[in-house]
Amino acid sequence: MLAEKYADRIEKIFSKYPDKRSGIMDLLYLAQEEYGWLSEDTLREVAALCDVDPTQAHSIAGFYTMFSEKPKGTYWLQVCTDLPCALRGADQFYQELCAYLDVDDGGTTSDGLFTVEQVMCLAACDKAPMLQCNFHYYENLDMDIIKGLIEQWRAQAQQEAAE
Amino acid sequence: MAETVTITIDGQQFQVPKGINLVDAAKMSGTDIPVFCYHPKMDPVGMCRMCLVELGSVVTNRETGEPDVDDNGDPVVRWFPKLQTACTQTVSEGMVVRGATQRVRDARDDILEFILTSHPLDCPICDKGGECPLQNLTMAYGPGESRFVFDDKIRLDKHVPLGDLIYLDRERCIQCARCTRFCDEVVGDDVLAFHERGRRLQIVTISDPPFDTKFSGNTTDICPVGALTTADFRFGARPWELDEVPSICPHCPVGCNISASTRLDRDFGGKKVIKRIMPRQNEHVNEIWICDKGRFGHHHARAEERLTTPLLRRGDEWVAVDWDTAYSEIAGRLKKAGDNVAFLAGNNLSNEDLWELRKLAHRTSNTPRLGVWPAFMTGADAVAQAGVGTGTRLQDMGPDSAILVIASDFEEEAPVWWLQVKQAADRGAKVVVANGRPTKLDRYATEVVHYEYGDAVAVLNSFAARARSKNKIDADFTARVDGAAELEAELKGTRVPFADAAETLLDAEDLVIFAGGEGLTLDQHRELMQAAANLLLLTGHAGKPNNGLVPVWPGANLQGAFDLGFSAETTAALADQPPTVWFIGSADPAAEDAALVQSLANAEFVVVSTQFMTPTAAHANVILPAQSFAEREGTFTNGMRRVQRFYTAQGPVGDTLPEWRIYANIGARLGGDKPRISAALVMRDITQNVPRYAAMAYPALAAVEKQFPDVGGDDLYYGGTAYTNTGGLGIQWPANAEDESARLQVRPVQLDGYQIEGLFAVPVRVLYDRSTLFEQSEMMHTHVPEPFAEINNQDAAHIGIVDGEVIRLNVNGAQHLLTARVNGQAPAGVVLVPQLLSKTPIVIGPAACAIEKIGE
Repeated sequence: MLAEKYADRIEKIFSKYPDKRSGIMDLLYLAQEEYGWLSEDTLREVAALCDVDPTQAHSIAGFYTMFSEKPKGTYWLQVCTDLPCALRGADQFYQELCAYLDVDDGGTTSDGLFTVEQVMCLAACDKAPMLQCNFHYYENLDMDIIKGLIEQWRAQAQQEAAE
Repeated sequence: MAETVTITIDGQQFQVPKGINLVDAAKMSGTDIPVFCYHPKMDPVGMCRMCLVELGSVVTNRETGEPDVDDNGDPVVRWFPKLQTACTQTVSEGMVVRGATQRVRDARDDILEFILTSHPLDCPICDKGGECPLQNLTMAYGPGESRFVFDDKIRLDKHVPLGDLIYLDRERCIQCARCTRFCDEVVGDDVLAFHERGRRLQIVTISDPPFDTKFSGNTTDICPVGALTTADFRFGARPWELDEVPSICPHCPVGCNISASTRLDRDFGGKKVIKRIMPRQNEHVNEIWICDKGRFGHHHARAEERLTTPLLRRGDEWVAVDWDTAYSEIAGRLKKAGDNVAFLAGNNLSNEDLWELRKLAHRTSNTPRLGVWPAFMTGADAVAQAGVGTGTRLQDMGPDSAILVIASDFEEEAPVWWLQVKQAADRGAKVVVANGRPTKLDRYATEVVHYEYGDAVAVLNSFAARARSKNKIDADFTARVDGAAELEAELKGTRVPFADAAETLLDAEDLVIFAGGEGLTLDQHRELMQAAANLLLLTGHAGKPNNGLVPVWPGANLQGAFDLGFSAETTAALADQPPTVWFIGSADPAAEDAALVQSLANAEFVVVSTQFMTPTAAHANVILPAQSFAEREGTFTNGMRRVQRFYTAQGPVGDTLPEWRIYANIGARLGGDKPRISAALVMRDITQNVPRYAAMAYPALAAVEKQFPDVGGDDLYYGGTAYTNTGGLGIQWPANAEDESARLQVRPVQLDGYQIEGLFAVPVRVLYDRSTLFEQSEMMHTHVPEPFAEINNQDAAHIGIVDGEVIRLNVNGAQHLLTARVNGQAPAGVVLVPQLLSKTPIVIGPAACAIEKIGE
């Protein structure tokens, strides 16, 4: 449980805000860091900590694409396909990426390594196509670059698995 | 009128109150600005964009402060470059609005086309069809055909239960957020929210229990489409088949104005039947809200269990007889009984019923015994003196106001008052909640007072003492109050244990006290009401609107019963001197009071008029089938002393009659006049004989006036389907304090607590119970808990019981098996026992008890 394991961090989060409900974003991040994703039980746990109704935690987790209410692959690739990015070819890039990894929109590869999804603006329109992988930005992409990155990540995962 | 500003709408100038919303201002001026998300009872959000207008303001010269004028001498208007949402604008002096231009029209057309991109065209099977804001606005605006590709239409779930009362059709939802904002802003239960965003935006709940506020039905009224529907009315009828009959909710003292939607129904023998209950606007009472008990508690009117003919006991059997036989039997008995008969009036008899019952009683005896049921609250004399001023509107109470709620679990006993007090707290009113245990209103309270049960009177009395010591006595007002000096002398030196709460109340300009009866004996309750009147009269918080005392009576018309001469003290005295003949009008004491069960069993003759075979009726010698509120006309007097009319909504069941007619018929056999031919004429008799009711003639009670906000009518988009009030706003009778020439009385109160050693049981009221009428609404049964007792955590640990365990409660010499709830709600030494969760009486007032663990 978060409350026991991260008592200090949670207290520090709450100390930043006038009331507990304001700390919900920080706590959702903490929970996602801990569990990898936000299950309904996790949402209830966070809601109880913040003294809000679980429905509100669910709503916040649903609104922000940085929160995931589904289990994710090791590498979580979020491609911005909003209008300015699309004008620079991001939508086509996204489709090619999906085809390359052999997944549907929002899907996870069968080896559980990659999840790809489209997200709203990531504030890097001028460097599209771009994506964020586990919250790190990769910009001015094309299929060659991304294929290289994917090989890197695969190798990295294999290495970690070997260790 | 308050301060006004001048605004110009489409070239016409209007004076409107300063600071109101532009959509409201336009509405007041007779201009409709179409909206989906805006609702006059909630904060604006500007989400739907339907209310776009061209907006300009007069340019003011910075040096002179005068408006700039053009060459023609007209003020120069500076227009916003883009269209603005009217709902997010507050009117200001010189505001200029254009709503009828082509530019605005085009914008609204586009918004509507956008809203309709994925809205299903299932109007022919939609419950809202015929009273749908989206339908109406689509007829008024919109391009008529869509440019969007049908194959791209999003398909979503159409039957999503949000709890067991409300269903969501995700396809129909246009994401206006009225329902989520209602739950959040108005009710304070955040159980609905949006999930995802953009086209994937959906209303969701993962709360446990799900959508389970006591006000959930209101979301279906304010939903501007057919996305939210009730389990009760879903696929039940088409709106255009329905006749709206003005009525009054028969369940609690708030007296919510309701509209019974009726139609001729095959399943009801081709007679008119209620298909649903909707709120009816009365800004003095319920505004446009009702609780789910009122909305879904109407099924008793057509229940199959209704009694349809008079029944006579022959040995162990009931024999159906005609009315004449029943009347003759009763008249003969009453003639012989003389003074040995007691009359007991239930809490939802109409004033007309009560009047005829009283006349009948006076025909049998010169000093008839006229009791009410239930009889744990009293103090109608305190209400008569210091009752809340006429014209009181809880929605007007704000930062300068204070509200005390004492001895009541307010949300359970009077939900819509709870809602209004909660909203007053949101507006900055100081709310003090005083009870022997935590209740839901504590969340919104400025000060919470948890006294020991039994100390309620002392706590309220100490507030008056604080008023004296802090010089808050209103000397001008007390000049009219007899006994004020003596009372002040008596209050001197009284200890004030909750000084902060006292001062919170005393510092406010307006003060309303809601007094319930939880945890009090009848004698204590009389003193509590007097203590409330003392405080209000000493501090001058009486005789004007938004000041005074409001009793939280159990039931819809206990106020009327007190006004017409019935009393709780009389009922209490029956325990010691039981009559040989009982005449009971729509009350079920046998379900609540074990002592009375014995008296009824011992009685020689019992007459009960009732709609259902209740435990009390089971003791009867004659049962008279009565009509429900739906089948007849009448009036109820609510807890704020507002006399309100209800009208005939459905066809009669069997041979049932209105109770006033039944009583008058019996009276006629005892030498009385022929019964009146209508309830209106009975009320005319009341107006001529009861001074307080002199103004309550039916035509006067039916008077309506324009209310703000102007909901209802044809443009359903503005306020939803709450109905315009066409049946009358009712009339409050003024308290004595309002008559400046009247002398008022105060007196010191008795502060005696209980003499109960050890554990004791306190009966409490819950909204969803098994009371005679509400029990018939089967759809609500899942909300009625099994009989339970709430036990203090330490006490439970001491006895060795845990939450959810079945325990044995020994009280008043009887044993009851109840589910224990150990949830931190009950104070130490107290067992809270909800009333009427079964038909077996447990406790009727605070009583010593013991709890036994049932062996493994």
